[in-house]
Amino acid sequence: MIKTERLLHLKSSRGRKVRVVREHYLRERVPCYSALCQADCDNDGKVLPGDLTHYVIPDVGIVLDFLEILEFREIQGIIFTQTACQAVQHNKGRRQYNRLRNLLKDPRHDCVLFVNEFQKYSYCPREKGESQEKWQTRCVYSAAVWFYNHLAGLKDIVMVTDDSEAVAQYSSLNSGVYVISMQEYLHSFWSDVNAAHELYSSIVQAVQERESEGSEREYQEHLPPEVLEAGIKCGRYMQGILSVNKHRAQQEALVTTQGFSNKSTDLSCDVLVLGVKNCNRAVHGDSVVVELLPHSEWRGRTTALTEAQGEERSMEDQNNQPMPTGRVVGILQRNWRDYVVTFPTRETQTQSRNSQKILTVPWDHRIPKIRISTQQADTLQDHRVVVRIDSWDSTSLYPNGHSVRVLGRAGELETEVQTILIENCISVPPFSEAQLREMPVVSPERPWNPDPEQVTTRRDLRQTHLVFSIDPKGCEDVDDTLSVSRLPKGGLELGVHIADVTHFVKEGSLTDQEARARATTYYLADRRYDMLPEVLSANLCSLLGGVDRYAMSVLWELDSASLEVRSVWFGRTLIRSSYQLHYELAQALLNGEDATVPELNQLNPEEQSQRLAELTQALETLTHVARHLRAQRDRGGALELEGVEVRAQLDSEKNITALVPRQPLEVHETVAECMIFANHWVARKIQESFPHQALLRHHPPPRQEFFSQLQESARARGFTIDTRSNKSLADSLEQAVDPQDPVVNRLLRMMATQAMSQAMYFSTGAVPADQYYHYGLALDRYTHFTSPIRRYADVIVHRLLMAALDLDRGLSSTLASNRELEETAQHINNRNRAAQHAQRLSTELFQCLFFRERDPESDPSCVSDAVIYAIRDNGLLVFVPQYGVKGPVYLRSREGEVLTFGADGHCEWSSGTVKKHSDHITTSSLSGSTTFRLFQHITVRISVQSNRCHADSLNLEVIQNAPHETSNPDLVPTQSKVQLIQEVHRQAEESLQKASVKPKLSREERQYCQSKQPNLYSLLEEIRELSLMDEEACAKKLCATTA
Amino acid sequence: MAGLELLSDQGYRLDGRKATELRKVQARMGVFAQADGSAYIEQGNTKALAVVYGPHEMRGSRSRTLHDRAVINCQYSMATFSTAERKRRPHGDKKSTEMSLHLKQTFEAAILTQLYPRSQIDIFVKILQADGGNYSVCVNAATLAVIDAGIPMRDYVCACTVGFVDETPLADLCYTEENGGVSSLALALLPRGGQIALLQMDARLHQDHLETMMEAAMIACKGVSKVLDEVVRQHLQEASALSRD
Repeated sequence: MIKTERLLHLKSSRGRKVRVVREHYLRERVPCYSALCQADCDNDGKVLPGDLTHYVIPDVGIVLDFLEILEFREIQGIIFTQTACQAVQHNKGRRQYNRLRNLLKDPRHDCVLFVNEFQKYSYCPREKGESQEKWQTRCVYSAAVWFYNHLAGLKDIVMVTDDSEAVAQYSSLNSGVYVISMQEYLHSFWSDVNAAHELYSSIVQAVQERESEGSEREYQEHLPPEVLEAGIKCGRYMQGILSVNKHRAQQEALVTTQGFSNKSTDLSCDVLVLGVKNCNRAVHGDSVVVELLPHSEWRGRTTALTEAQGEERSMEDQNNQPMPTGRVVGILQRNWRDYVVTFPTRETQTQSRNSQKILTVPWDHRIPKIRISTQQADTLQDHRVVVRIDSWDSTSLYPNGHSVRVLGRAGELETEVQTILIENCISVPPFSEAQLREMPVVSPERPWNPDPEQVTTRRDLRQTHLVFSIDPKGCEDVDDTLSVSRLPKGGLELGVHIADVTHFVKEGSLTDQEARARATTYYLADRRYDMLPEVLSANLCSLLGGVDRYAMSVLWELDSASLEVRSVWFGRTLIRSSYQLHYELAQALLNGEDATVPELNQLNPEEQSQRLAELTQALETLTHVARHLRAQRDRGGALELEGVEVRAQLDSEKNITALVPRQPLEVHETVAECMIFANHWVARKIQESFPHQALLRHHPPPRQEFFSQLQESARARGFTIDTRSNKSLADSLEQAVDPQDPVVNRLLRMMATQAMSQAMYFSTGAVPADQYYHYGLALDRYTHFTSPIRRYADVIVHRLLMAALDLDRGLSSTLASNRELEETAQHINNRNRAAQHAQRLSTELFQCLFFRERDPESDPSCVSDAVIYAIRDNGLLVFVPQYGVKGPVYLRSREGEVLTFGADGHCEWSSGTVKKHSDHITTSSLSGSTTFRLFQHITVRISVQSNRCHADSLNLEVIQNAPHETSNPDLVPTQSKVQLIQEVHRQAEESLQKASVKPKLSREERQYCQSKQPNLYSLLEEIRELSLMDEEACAKKLCATTA
Repeated sequence: MAGLELLSDQGYRLDGRKATELRKVQARMGVFAQADGSAYIEQGNTKALAVVYGPHEMRGSRSRTLHDRAVINCQYSMATFSTAERKRRPHGDKKSTEMSLHLKQTFEAAILTQLYPRSQIDIFVKILQADGGNYSVCVNAATLAVIDAGIPMRDYVCACTVGFVDETPLADLCYTEENGGVSSLALALLPRGGQIALLQMDARLHQDHLETMMEAAMIACKGVSKVLDEVVRQHLQEASALSRD
């Protein structure tokens, strides 16, 4: 032990001045975490590379204010001092400190922590009368000097500080240690990182702004944390997450108190917060504390439809049940993220006193306007910009923020897509070189071959099994293949072979880290962002036909008559897929139609027919088995649901969605069934081996009250829906079919889908065993195993399965603990939700782009049939089957006029009344009255309501109280979405071409920009092309992600 | 609101020690000539003085006399100036009574009391400055004082506290760590045989962790015993050198 002298610190605490003596131990050996270390420090973990031009040590002030800039991955070789870290912890709070800690842990970022205050030679005690800032700066400087000497002068050290006195004082003391200001540093070392410069200037602005704040109070002060905590404990206050109503962001917000159950208050429901003042600076997503208002001030929620700018709607809905209403008294945890805002145009900027402060409107309706101080207001007009909120003082009406990055002009496709990604916190930078270096090299000259060592350890199925894959046409990442054969001793052998991703992606590697961070492949309407680098996802891990590939296999031995599982085998295998079929071809083979299998073309006719018979036989057996499995699950109560908006949410593996109409083939169901079977058996295996730390997926039963809308709607048509169990729900949905109108059943299933809760990943140690049940699939245990290329959960499950097999052989391996796994599961759940949300938004974006190009008055495609599925106080909610669009239709305008139809069927607006009943709504005016019933078909016109600051939305308008005559359900919807996207693409490309004919200068500019990041642009282009071809593949992926 | 980070990601504690490192221990024996045995110990910033009288015949109530062994009488007290705020500490308050009792139990296990039937041994311990681990410092001081008095013991009694943070046991807690919401455990050990003289814990701890905590505590106690042994040997050398002259 190398303890040395002990030093004294003075400290005051809790009001009274108290002299506290603390020990302080110094040691000679503190690891420096540099690859250049000459003194054999035990540097385990992250190490700074030796090939950088310099190391940079930021001063305390820099770390406090400009941590965001230091987060840029381009800036390498940062040494954070302990002094700075402690300052962050004290001054900026836990959130910021955790951010710094995560940064230090992130292996992709070159930065380390140097514990300077425990190093004998770099520590300097605070002198009498020295101010804290001066002392901190001196500490950091002495750390910098120590580093320079420790590395024997091999590396120059740059200390960055904003204290100009320090620059003057220290810069000439030591030759290898440079002390410069932040601006100078960025300028001289990272002049090519433009984003950092922009961020720097915007933060400087914000900091200056903060210092010159006004003092008039706009909001009540928040209560101190001790008071809040005491209040929550004694039941005076309630704790919850604030969620703002999207349609009435100014007026209405809910605090969901779920999860923070409080014994003393019997309020299990949510608390309403009305008005900006009551919200008291809380932003959507914050964890807040509310105080209930007296009963006399309780209000109900509004159920009337409001138009987007319905600010004047203050009318009281007396008929609504009043619910607990409260006001926010304090905020426990801010949950601010990056927001996308739009800068106003020049004429709408009404800034009187200070032209540098701009009020920007966030893209998300639920976020209040953010005040940004910038000098670029002119150039940023009408641009979408990423901003961060810095603070929201009680003296200011709006929060203060600073801009981070400019996305582009509002309304352009690229900008809008980036907006969607950022709003969902999806970060998908191109794979870094370090990550790609981990990948095996594959080129046409040097194709990849299995390692002989692996061949001996794996079970070789290349000769013994007929393996084939069935995927959508043009699919690149084949992650599942099937095999089925009759065993010589009787019985069937069914095999599911999944790409062995974990062989290539080792736990803890950079690729693994990145995949974990992404958690899933993101599919947008026109592109996708892969979870794994392409060399894996499209080549080495893809089980392509005719080449040797590693796989993880599950082989069942089934009884040939009863199809009971006799035994099951899991393990790593080596396979060679014989046929790469697509769905249509497989179905054609099954139907006995004449189809040509491309793999057999070279063979002579005799052999060809023999092979064909063999394959068809296998497909038939497979279908037989799958039917049996499906029937088994149906008996247990498996649901078949319809999803349009929320299609990625549920288990409609075989179901087509309205947006991507495909012929439902039985073979889809066959493949899906085999995958569910494999997932189920793997779940059983890993749960038995690791009862406390296996990753499973469950689907909690829905809350019964959510079914009320479904039941009401069904009653209108005379159906009863029994929602007591998944079995009864499935049965009653099966019966609720209107022979005249197939849409009714679809709508009912859609409503059932909406009532469902989300399926979630979880760690078995974190949830009681009776909640493992998967409601939708009616299985007691379920997990995801079959798509490791595009889901990180499957990668974890693969590792768990391998560990379980090792355990059977008596080997033990280290696994993530229950807590870590649960954390990972929550992360994956979050990312999945973000992925679904982003996907939905991008679909909506494309819908809007599609209709924006069309004139609603003249274009026939803007008029369509719609079905009423819910009734509100002043309007209807309708579903447009042709485009899969849902939306509101208003029957009463803001001027109080109502819509009625004359005898000849055309509509007019006049003053009148609207009366709402449970299953119909009647409008009456002088010219007559009209009734709309649930599930009635009407004709609507679709137009786009453009919105500069937010996403465009579709506007629906009734034009006829009768079904649309020309609507041809067979013809129109078959390709609508694919068409739609191609259409938009064509336009986008045209405009791109137009742009490229612009003067030369701009093109050079673009080339210049490109040269910095050559791969980003080309990658995006590539993805775009891929996704066009791969459209259907995406669709299939969607269905598969749902389970 | 546990604001302080007791163990950083790099494995350092607030005062710069690693998880298993003890504070600096300094001790002197024979500080008072009038008593039979005495010792002064500094363990980090915790400073304690121990004085031993005896064995002598019973004083006070003779009814407490034991016929087969000696009675051990312990008294623990804290100086008024021992903490950051001066505070009068009357004799016989609950905390010090409890501490006295613990000390008594510890030393009854260590001293060979059966050698002195019908007699009494008094151990007085005073904390001069408190900075965490008061009990263990008292035990260590008293051990030295008992040795100084020449009373035979089975072995040194060494004590140490251990806390549990982030799945790691921290040895020899200081005051800030003790107050930081750590579940801590105090262990008094007879290091050579590895027998436990006293084990005290009044915090909540998961059963699975108890084993690791005990293990860490024992290692820490053995570390303390090494230091104490050195102190005793040095004292002996000095004393013998003096007597030779």
